[in-house]
Amino acid sequence: MSKKDVESALARGVDILNEFLPLKISLYFPILYSACVWAVRRVFDYRERILSWQVWLDPDEVRTKPDEFILHFFATHEALKTVYAGEIAGRDMKALRAAFPALYPVCGLEDAFLKALFKKELDSGGYRKIAAEFGTRASKAREDIRPVEMSTPFWTALENLGAELAALGIHLLKDEEVEKAIVGVIKKKTGTAAKNGP
Amino acid sequence: MMSGRERRLRSVAALALALALCASCATHLRNAKTAYTNAQELTRLYRTEQALAAYKLALAEAALEAQKKPSGQAFMLKGLAEANLGLWKEAEASFVKAAGLGFETGEAWASEVSLLGLAVSFEELGFQDPALRAYENLLGKSAFKPVLFTAAERYADLTMARTLGLGEKEKTRALADLVKVIEKLEARDFACGFYHYFHSQAESHRGDYRRSYEEAVMARELGLPSEKILRDNDNQIVFCHDKLTGTLPAAERYAFAASHAAWARKWGWSDARTPAWKLE
Repeated sequence: MSKKDVESALARGVDILNEFLPLKISLYFPILYSACVWAVRRVFDYRERILSWQVWLDPDEVRTKPDEFILHFFATHEALKTVYAGEIAGRDMKALRAAFPALYPVCGLEDAFLKALFKKELDSGGYRKIAAEFGTRASKAREDIRPVEMSTPFWTALENLGAELAALGIHLLKDEEVEKAIVGVIKKKTGTAAKNGP
Repeated sequence: MMSGRERRLRSVAALALALALCASCATHLRNAKTAYTNAQELTRLYRTEQALAAYKLALAEAALEAQKKPSGQAFMLKGLAEANLGLWKEAEASFVKAAGLGFETGEAWASEVSLLGLAVSFEELGFQDPALRAYENLLGKSAFKPVLFTAAERYADLTMARTLGLGEKEKTRALADLVKVIEKLEARDFACGFYHYFHSQAESHRGDYRRSYEEAVMARELGLPSEKILRDNDNQIVFCHDKLTGTLPAAERYAFAASHAAWARKWGWSDARTPAWKLE
């Protein structure tokens, strides 16, 4: 497998996104990353898979949790227990309850697209930023992706890209290498890092 | 003046056009039925995202059919797809039209969908009491699953949210009432994993972690309507596991750990606290 071939396939992916979603750079990383995740597993029904995060934003699980569950969520999560140490120790339920609806779908239920959407914050420990910006960023992503939701050419192009990446052996790359390659290509092609991406 | 040959050609062309239009109508209805059946199968397999895509396709095809050739069947299919997508107002209108075109059950469904839509509006506007009464009414009478599940989910969540602000005594009473409602739903369909999920969540609010754990295990075994709910239910199992491990007397703790380890193995978890999806 040549890393160069993977990079040029990813560059074509950025071209596809540029064509169908011009200026929606904040979506490039999550879409390409999700495409790579599914390519590794050789699953190519991308439209449903990639749009599935929208289902995760709509309520259908019981959202009202007891204090003990919320405390347990913050206290047992590797990073959150440090970031929210003060609130956990003081049982500041007002603050923890306010942050929970944003952090639970990302860190508790772990949807791939939402994790990619907040990758920069997750990598840098910016959990409070996720809590503060979750609503705005998630509804912006929902709004931004709307033009391509029903576009067959867009999803076909993405599926073809996934099949190509799978054929090139993307599964042989480590997750971090894939992330790095995507970020590098986006930077190179758009002249900037994805606004809210890594 | 038209020659005999031209007239024949025109008649053939008109017939071909009529047949093509008819075939296209039949195709829309057939496509809608196929997509709807496919969506139901995907729902049964808990592949929610794909199911939603199939419901959207069913809706698009049924809408085309209803536009070209309005019939009770076309509007019934349209309403069903809309109800499964949570488009309550649109579903109500479709069922009313279906009833007007001879689909008898349409009227009852339209009234249930209408009541649900009203309850949701009440809740969104902050009128919790009438919203709860409407949800409870639907839970008692509806046999239409999209309505029943949505009413159950909203009733349970709203009741639990209200208990957060109550004193201990009132909270205990409100949660006991909620559990009674859920037990009635379970009595109607004990094999429905979604009801056991609500039961587990309610017991968690009551602080009965043993019962909450048992109900969550039952929910997982019977199946849940989406990956998101399954993951939430798994988190509930881990939470109860941790609580019970920390509070049970030694002898009971060992027995509990052994039985939980067996479930975790069955579900393919990497250990007692790590569901398989955490490693994706």
